[in-house]
Amino acid sequence: MHLTGYLLQRLLRGVVTFWFAVTVTFFLVRLLPGDPVLAVAGPGMTEEIRLQQLQLFGLDRPLAVQYFSYLRELVQGNLGISFLRSKPVTTVLMERMPWTLLLTSTALVLTVLLGIPLGVLAATRARGWTDKIVQVSGVIGQSLFVPSIGILLLYTLGLMAGIFPIGGAVKSGLTGVQYYLSVAHHLVLPCLTLVMAQLASYVLTLRSTLIEALGEEYCDLARAKGTPERKVIWKHALRNALLPTTTLIGLQIGFLVGGAVLTETIYAYPGVGRAIFEAVGQLDFPVLQGAFVLLAATVVVANLVTDLAYGLLDPRVRAG
Amino acid sequence: MTNNTPEAVQPSAAAGQLAPADLTPARRTWRAFRANGLGMGSAIVILIMIAIAIAAPLLAQFPSGYGIDILMPPSPQHPFGTDDLGRDVLAQVIWGTRISMIIGFAASVLAIIIGVALGVLAAYARRLDGAISMLVDVCLALPVLPLMILVAALVGPSVTTLVLVIALFSWPEVTRIVRSQALSVTRLPYVDAARTIGGSHIWIMTRHLLPAVAPIIVVSVVLTASRAVLSEAGLSFLGLGDPESWSWGKILFNAQRSGALTVAWWCTLFPSLAILLLVVSSTLVSIAYNDARNPKTREN
Repeated sequence: MHLTGYLLQRLLRGVVTFWFAVTVTFFLVRLLPGDPVLAVAGPGMTEEIRLQQLQLFGLDRPLAVQYFSYLRELVQGNLGISFLRSKPVTTVLMERMPWTLLLTSTALVLTVLLGIPLGVLAATRARGWTDKIVQVSGVIGQSLFVPSIGILLLYTLGLMAGIFPIGGAVKSGLTGVQYYLSVAHHLVLPCLTLVMAQLASYVLTLRSTLIEALGEEYCDLARAKGTPERKVIWKHALRNALLPTTTLIGLQIGFLVGGAVLTETIYAYPGVGRAIFEAVGQLDFPVLQGAFVLLAATVVVANLVTDLAYGLLDPRVRAG
Repeated sequence: MTNNTPEAVQPSAAAGQLAPADLTPARRTWRAFRANGLGMGSAIVILIMIAIAIAAPLLAQFPSGYGIDILMPPSPQHPFGTDDLGRDVLAQVIWGTRISMIIGFAASVLAIIIGVALGVLAAYARRLDGAISMLVDVCLALPVLPLMILVAALVGPSVTTLVLVIALFSWPEVTRIVRSQALSVTRLPYVDAARTIGGSHIWIMTRHLLPAVAPIIVVSVVLTASRAVLSEAGLSFLGLGDPESWSWGKILFNAQRSGALTVAWWCTLFPSLAILLLVVSSTLVSIAYNDARNPKTREN
């Protein structure tokens, strides 16, 4: 299988995943008891106004017609109208999207950058009781509840130490370098929350795959040739051990996005996650649906990028 | 549990890996499990939490109404302090144990039933395998929390909603694990033998495949339950918890909404610790059980 074929197959899969997400949410929203018709058309309305409202949101047509028109609109980037703000959902969410992308991608990159050296340390240096500590703290790290980490950091680093701001994404009225510094300053705590929530999985995965790789014959051969151990670890074994880590990124992106929703809620970070929290309080279903569709699209694209990275890292995929 | 097996049957380190013949596999697993300190400790923690959940009405009054002592730090009278409406946080955590564990357990059982049924079916009926595996892959790739939020908001928050929503989006993980385990069993000769003597599909699946994946199911129940507890806490934290009852996530939600979060650490620390304790213990128990069951890890 060549790289192009592999990528085409992955692309097809991404499209199917996205279509599935869109379709399932469309029918869930229309068929579940929390009827959007009721949300738009209150019981106190006269019949005339009710019909008018339904027509406005296109809710009076047959389900199948609604579905295909939803798909058609979606392709053109239209996610419907927010019930409460009477603004297009796309407009509401697109203002929020850059913040969520900034938060999640920074968290992901930092997690991987920290996870690799820590995983190498855990695999090569931890023996006996240190290894036991690594494993138990790994289990604890994987069991953390994202809001708990967020609240802990907010309380200690934000309130008690007062080093970092505890809400918002940027101080208003700043320009130039100061603006970017303020953005980075506000990003620290939410980002750290997500890094802490994910780090253990990466360290533990890398630890076990690296230990396995270091026991392989090609590593023995490298050692027999007189290659220094440091080089055996970082050049020979790590390259192979990184493959399962790449797969893990794909598996963890959904969790990362969920964590972002919780983190943004705590820090009043103006991303899509906070928009979801606000929409829950107002029962604004088009925003909830649109936010999920948008986040699903993000996850699908991110997965494609990971697949590409996997294809480039693994010569078996590259050469076929 | 009383164990009257004489000490002499303990396998000596040099005599190889053979366990005494008079022990059933279940007892051998139990023996190895008991020797694992972390696993035993975690099991005891879980049992204590179950006891707290059952005995909640005896341990504390249902936290309702308003108190006079608002936002009091921990004291002998209120060991976990009080919240912004003067309600005892300890009582909230105790009653929260009940709802969090009920939802975690019920959602997990439901997810396991769906997950195991589809997993075994996918492994046995090769024609359905493609479709089921595809569905599992697609579901696992999607961001589950926003989807749960959407559905829970549509149906309206209640304990039943939370159980159903969490179960509905938690089974694919179980199916993935059960399918791969069952797949290796379907190739074994005894399954062919069962088919040769004319066994029906249902009979083969329930009597031959299901017992083979049973140990995986035990581990899955514990892990899925702990993940369900986290999902419940997440949904409650976002305001989708049952309005009538307490759960750990809801205590955090109240603290966040009222702003108690920034002044009263005790409102958030204790429910957070309860969540952490339950999830860590569940994970350690399942790791210990896996190690105890596996002859390779059991002997050393």
